[in-house]
Amino acid sequence: MNMPAQIRARPDAHDVADLVTRLMADYGERAQTSRAARDQHSHGEGLADAGLPDVVVFPHTNDEVAAIVRLCHAARMPVIAFGVGTSLEGHVAALYGGVCIDLSQMNRVLEVNAEDLDCRVQAGVLREELNAELKGTGLFFPIDPGANATLGGMAATRASGTNAVRYGTMRENVLGLTVVTPDGRIIKTGGRSRKSSAGYDLTRLYVGAEGTLGVITEIQLRLYGVPEAISAGICQFETLDGAVQTVILAMQHGIPVARIELLDDVQMEACIRYSKLEGLKAKPTLLFEFHGSEAGVAEQVAQMQAITEEFGGSAFEWATKPEDRTRLWKARHAAYYAAKAMFPGKQVFATDACVPISRLADCVLATKADADETGLVAPIVGHVGDGNFHLCVLFDPDDAGERERAEGLARRISLRAIAMGGTCTGEHGIGVHKLDALVAEHGDAVDLMRTIKRALDPHNIMNPGKTVPL
Amino acid sequence: MLDPAVHAQLASVLPAEALLTSAEETRPYESDGLTMYRELPAAVAIPEDEAQLIAVLQRCHAAGVAVVARGAGTSLSGGALPVKHGVLVAMAKFRRIVSVDPVACTAVVQPGVRNLAISTAVAPHGLYYAPDPSSQIACTIGGNVGENAGGVHCLKYGLTVHNVRRVRGVLITGEVVEFGGDALDSAGYDLLALIHGSEGLLAVTTEITVKLTPKPQTAQVALAAFSDVGAAGNAVAAVIGAGIVPAGLEMMDRSATRAAEEFVHAGYPLDAAAVLLVETDGTPEEVGADMAEITRVLAAAGATAIRVSKDERERLLLWSGRKAAFPAVGRISPDYYCIDGTIPRRALAEVLRQTEVLSQQFNLRCANVFHAGDGNLHPLILYDANIAEESRRAEAFGAAILELCIEVGGTITGEHGVGVEKLPQMCVQFRPAELDCFLAVKAAFDPQSLLNPGKGVPTLSRCAEFGKMHVHHGKLAHPELPRF
Repeated sequence: MNMPAQIRARPDAHDVADLVTRLMADYGERAQTSRAARDQHSHGEGLADAGLPDVVVFPHTNDEVAAIVRLCHAARMPVIAFGVGTSLEGHVAALYGGVCIDLSQMNRVLEVNAEDLDCRVQAGVLREELNAELKGTGLFFPIDPGANATLGGMAATRASGTNAVRYGTMRENVLGLTVVTPDGRIIKTGGRSRKSSAGYDLTRLYVGAEGTLGVITEIQLRLYGVPEAISAGICQFETLDGAVQTVILAMQHGIPVARIELLDDVQMEACIRYSKLEGLKAKPTLLFEFHGSEAGVAEQVAQMQAITEEFGGSAFEWATKPEDRTRLWKARHAAYYAAKAMFPGKQVFATDACVPISRLADCVLATKADADETGLVAPIVGHVGDGNFHLCVLFDPDDAGERERAEGLARRISLRAIAMGGTCTGEHGIGVHKLDALVAEHGDAVDLMRTIKRALDPHNIMNPGKTVPL
Repeated sequence: MLDPAVHAQLASVLPAEALLTSAEETRPYESDGLTMYRELPAAVAIPEDEAQLIAVLQRCHAAGVAVVARGAGTSLSGGALPVKHGVLVAMAKFRRIVSVDPVACTAVVQPGVRNLAISTAVAPHGLYYAPDPSSQIACTIGGNVGENAGGVHCLKYGLTVHNVRRVRGVLITGEVVEFGGDALDSAGYDLLALIHGSEGLLAVTTEITVKLTPKPQTAQVALAAFSDVGAAGNAVAAVIGAGIVPAGLEMMDRSATRAAEEFVHAGYPLDAAAVLLVETDGTPEEVGADMAEITRVLAAAGATAIRVSKDERERLLLWSGRKAAFPAVGRISPDYYCIDGTIPRRALAEVLRQTEVLSQQFNLRCANVFHAGDGNLHPLILYDANIAEESRRAEAFGAAILELCIEVGGTITGEHGVGVEKLPQMCVQFRPAELDCFLAVKAAFDPQSLLNPGKGVPTLSRCAEFGKMHVHHGKLAHPELPRF
C-alpha cells in the first residue's frame, strides 16, 4: 500500500494517558478505550487497512467537538472524525492513533425550511434518516451513494451517487457548513442564501477535504421537490459498447435522466444471483430513472428509447410501482455486496475512475479488456451519466500475487482515467490509497493543496496521512 | 511612478506597445464599473500570451510590486481597481476560443473572451454557455470566474462555479497551476471552487474550460402583476415550493417597472405594485406543463394579471424591460446606490416590506429589481449626490438594508463581490475565526499579498460602515450596458 509521505510517530503514551483521563472525566461513558470500540473505529468498508485510535469520543454538540479538538490541539494529538465507517478509501483509519470523534450521536435534523428548499442537519444524521424525516413535506434529498452514510461523511468525501447526473454531487448540494477548525474554533461557512460572493468559497474547500482541514459538525443542505412522476426502466444490450454509446448520446442530447447506471455482464450475473432478479440476463445493462411531470417523463422515455434502439438495446422493462423501483435500486446498491458474494472469502478493491463523457467508451472498453487480461473477476458498475464507473476487483487477500495484480489493475485504471483528462476519484475520495494518483492527476496543484493544508492545520493534527501527501 | 529598474525589467519581457506608463495611456484603466473609486496604476502591462504574463508576474513578485488583473472592467465592486504604484495587467489579448468539444459539451477559452461570444461560437452545435450576467455582451469569462458571476438563469443552471470544469492560472510567483479537470469531479481539495469568486486575489487565469449546455428547444415567460409587494414575494416562494425550477424568476417593484416601461415600452402594467417574470425552458411538452402549473400557482398567490409570451419575439420583449431596468432607473434620478444582498427566499416578503418602511423613514425613494428566485436583492436607492445630507441618508439607508439581510440569515453580496466596496461589511458578516481562514487561504497562495491587495478580505477591523455602489448621473464605465 502507499504509505503517507510524511510519517508521524504515534503520540507519546503519557500524553495519550493524560488526554484519555481528561476526556473520561469530561465525557464519562461517552469516551471509550475498549479494544472493541477502538477496533470498530479503526477502519471503513474498504480494504482492512486498519489504524487503531487511542480513544473514541461521542460528542453531542458543536461546543463539545470544539472542546475535544482544543485538547487535541494543545497535546498535538491526531483527530479523526468518524460517521458510520462506510468509506472505501481508508479515510477513518487512525494511522498514528489519536482521538476518534464519532459524530453518530449528533444525529438531529435541526431545521427544515420547506419554502427555501433547504435544511440543516447535524453531521451524524444518516442519509436515509433525513429522507424519512422529510416524508410528508413533499421534499427529498437526492444524493445517494448507495451506502447509508452520514451526511457529515458524505460532505467530507464529496460523495456523489446514482443520480448525480441530474442533481449533482455534494459539491452542488451543500449550501453551508459549521466546522470546528484545528485550533478548536467554531466557524460557519456559506449559509441559507443561494449565492454569496463574500470571501473565498470555504464551503467547497471543506467539502471533500476528508476531515484534513477541520471537523464538519453541521450541514446546510439543498432539498428538492419529490417529482410528480417517476419511472424506472431496464434495457439490456448485446455489447458493452452499445450500452456506453447510448449513455454518451443521451448526455449529448441533454435528456435530463435522473439516474443512469451501467452494469456489465459480470456484475449483472452477480446481481441476478444475489438479489434474485427475475427475467433478466447476464448482459450489459442500463438502469434508468426519469423524474419530472407526467408529460416530461413520457417525453424523456420516448427520446431514450429511440437512442437505445439505435445501439441494439432490448425493449424497456418498466418499474413504475414504488416497490418495484425500490427492488431494482436495492439490487443496484447491493452491487458491491453481490460482487463480494460471488467468491466468499475474497476481498474487494473498488476503483473510482471518472472521465469526460466523450472518453467514456474508450475508457470503459479499455478497462474491461485490461481487467479480462489480468484473469481477475472485476465486475463493472457505474453512474456513467456523469462519466464515473467502478470496478469491484476481487482478490484473495492471502495470495500475494493476486493482490499485486489487483492493485496493478486499480493503479492502471486511475492512470488511464487521468490520461484521458479525468480523475482517479469521482466520489470515493483519496484517503490513504490514492495519494500518488493525486500527484499524477494534479502535478503542481498538489503543492498548493499542501500549502493550504499547512496554512489551515499547521500542526497536521486533522486526519493525518490522508488526502494530500505532505 | 514605476521604479526604473522594474520598468526596465518589464520592458525587457513585453513588446514596447504592451507597456503603458504615461497618465494619458493609463487613464482608461483607472476604474471599473464602480466609478466612485479611481486610481492610476504605475504601469499597464498587456501581455499577449502566457509566457509574457508569467514573465511579468515573476518580475513583479521579485520586486515586491502589486499586480491587479483586469478583464473588461465591468466589475461593480472595484475588483479591477488599480493599486497605486502597482502594475495593472490587462488580459484583453487573451481572446481566443481555443477549442470546442461538442461531444463532451465543453469549450476551452482564454479569459479575455466575452461571455456572450462563447454562446455565439458554439451555437452551431446546438449548445450555449448558461451563466448570463446582464453585462454578458461585454464582461469576460476570466472576470466571471473571478467574481463567480451569476445572472438571470443561474436559478436553474447554476453560477459560474457550476459551469466551469477547469481553470489554468498563474500564481504571483509565475508558477502555472491547473485547477479542476475535464471530468465532472476532480481529486483532492476543491481548488477550482476556491478560484471562483476569489476576485483575482489568488491567481491570474489564462485558460478556462467551460461546460456547455444543450440549448432548450423552447422557452416561455409569464409576466404576473401583483397589487402588493409582499404578495409578490410570497408568490416567489409558492412557485419554488411547488417544486418548479424556473429558468428565471425575477421581480421588479412599481418604481422599477415604471422606469423600465418608460424606457423600453415592454408593455408592463403601470398600476401593479410589483411584477414577476417567470421563465421556463425545455421541450415544448415540458414547457407547456410547467407554464400551466406556474400560471396556476401565480393566480392562486393573488396575481391580478398574467401575460404569457406567445412567441420568441414577445418573450424577448417582456425580458427587455428587466434587462434595461438599471439604465432606466439611472434616467429618473441623478444618482443611485445599488445594494447586492442575498436572503433566504422565505424572508423576501418581509424584507421587501421592511425596505418600504425604511424608504419612508429615510425619506428616499427605492426601486427594487432583483433575482427573486435565488433571493438576490438589488435595491436601488435614489438620491442626489450634490446634496451632502442626502448622500449620508442614502448610505445609512443602504446600511440598514444590508443589516436586515444579515439579520434574516443572508449575505452582503450575492454576485457583485466584495472588492473594495464591501470590505467593512465583511467584518459584520464574518467572525474573526472565519476571517482568519480566509487570510490563511490567501497566505497559502500569495504570502506577500501582491495579487490585488486591499480587496476581497479585510486585513484588519475595517468595520465602521457599509459601502455601496455609487452611480453619478448614470456614469458607469459602460452606461449603455444592461445590468444585473
